[in-house]
Amino acid sequence: MATERRKHVVAKRAKKRLGDDAVTVVVMRLYVAGRAPNSVKAIANIEAICRQHLKEGYKLEIVDVCEHPRRALDDGVLVTPSLTKVSPSPGANIIGNLSDTSGVLAAMGITTTKQ
Amino acid sequence: MNDTPLSTDRRLAPDASEAAFRQWLRRLVTGADELKAFDAGEIDAVMDRDSGSAVLLPEAQSALHDSSRIVLNALDALPGEVCVLDSNGVVVMANKAWRLSGVAHARAGLDVRAGENIFAACRDVPAFERVYAEEMDSGLRQVLTRVRQSAVCRYVCDASQPRRVCTFTIAAIAGEGPTHAVITREWSSEPTLPKHSRRRAEPAVAGAGNQLLAALSPREFARLASGLETVTLTYGEILYEPGEPMQAVYFPSDCLVSLLTLVEGRRALEVGLVGREGMIGARLALGAATSSVRALVQGTGTALRMTSARFLREFRRSPSLQRTLFQFTDTLMIQISQTAACNRFHIVEARLARWLLMTADRMASPEFHLTHEFLADMLGVRREGVTMAACALQQRKLIHYRRGDIKILDTPGLEAASCSCYRYVQTRAANN
Repeated sequence: MATERRKHVVAKRAKKRLGDDAVTVVVMRLYVAGRAPNSVKAIANIEAICRQHLKEGYKLEIVDVCEHPRRALDDGVLVTPSLTKVSPSPGANIIGNLSDTSGVLAAMGITTTKQ
Repeated sequence: MNDTPLSTDRRLAPDASEAAFRQWLRRLVTGADELKAFDAGEIDAVMDRDSGSAVLLPEAQSALHDSSRIVLNALDALPGEVCVLDSNGVVVMANKAWRLSGVAHARAGLDVRAGENIFAACRDVPAFERVYAEEMDSGLRQVLTRVRQSAVCRYVCDASQPRRVCTFTIAAIAGEGPTHAVITREWSSEPTLPKHSRRRAEPAVAGAGNQLLAALSPREFARLASGLETVTLTYGEILYEPGEPMQAVYFPSDCLVSLLTLVEGRRALEVGLVGREGMIGARLALGAATSSVRALVQGTGTALRMTSARFLREFRRSPSLQRTLFQFTDTLMIQISQTAACNRFHIVEARLARWLLMTADRMASPEFHLTHEFLADMLGVRREGVTMAACALQQRKLIHYRRGDIKILDTPGLEAASCSCYRYVQTRAANN
């Protein structure tokens, strides 16, 4: 009971901090190929986008397909870099080095917020 | 897709066939978005379901090749000495500082080069470095088998003059496959003492109560004194475990240490008792690097401690220390063999009496503290056996025993109650 109340308080604080349109945490997974150029760019781009538009309301997992190829194949990933939006639904998938910020935001369903 | 004769080995295709390789890779790509990104040059790798692996595009390959070269160069640029080992202990790479240091120190300090096995190097060290090499061997094995994440090992190079000490820090490199390890090596000229039992370090005081040291001439003692430090050893502290390297030797001043043999790794039986008349770690003088027994502090007090390496150096150069130590070792052997016979032939009550007298002699006090459990371990009997024997001695007004506090009330009476072993060992020790 106490835990639930604490969770509720945390959610309220998150809502206050992030604004109404960023209450839920966006969970993403980025598949990359080691430190290859496009992969490095993709990591930098998505991190910048998240910092600017999602603040702390996101979770980003980076999967190196050179180390975990089976995981990528099981997740249906064909090429890297590849960004998958895990939650909230609807899911989305973006291919490439994620340099097109507006395209990424639109595909991810993220509403831009003024800084 | 499978009709192509090309395989994933084409990753290493020369420039001339890059276009063909790229074309082959493109055939693995399905989906409009994927193809668009592929053609735009925004793709690094394509997943190949047949081989179950990621196939890198030529640009990504060369970039990764460059980046691994950068990592190697970065390691070379580090001022610290670093080497990387594979899971078998073979050196995969050693950085420039490590290589140069190996030359500068004439390959002292467990120096290994690329392609060499560090475990083989640990086996191939001079006798007096063996104790450190074994510690290193064990630490590294624990890291490589993921028992520990890291280990720090001190290694004294006795062969070098002035004497050098290096500290190895071993850390596991986590990954998907077998664990690798990275080792850093730092040199110093002053030895650092082992961490255990460092309660209070003070300069050694001449004639600090240890009879073995007191038997040395003042000149001999003065030379030893610079390597001795006073430490407090507390009840229950373990100085050595069987099979483990002896990092330091101890000369008890007013503490008491039991030497225990372990059976099946857990049941302990006392085989020897050392106090102010002797030392702990005399086995080093016989050429052994590891302990054969567990050395357990059972009477809190002070002792003088010296590092094993220093002790061995002093032992080699001092005939009088050698003589004194051999006498003590002989006495200890008499005590151990007599204890073995005593444990087999004499009743618990007589053995307890002998043991209390020996303790009182070494503590130089008729009062001390010991629990039933401890006494049971010492005598190799059940706790009930100790209770019965202690009650019997108390009824005869030879001792007073209450909650582990023991006081000998009648020493001649207790001697009469003890078995002949006590008097025998005393006489033999006196004759030495």
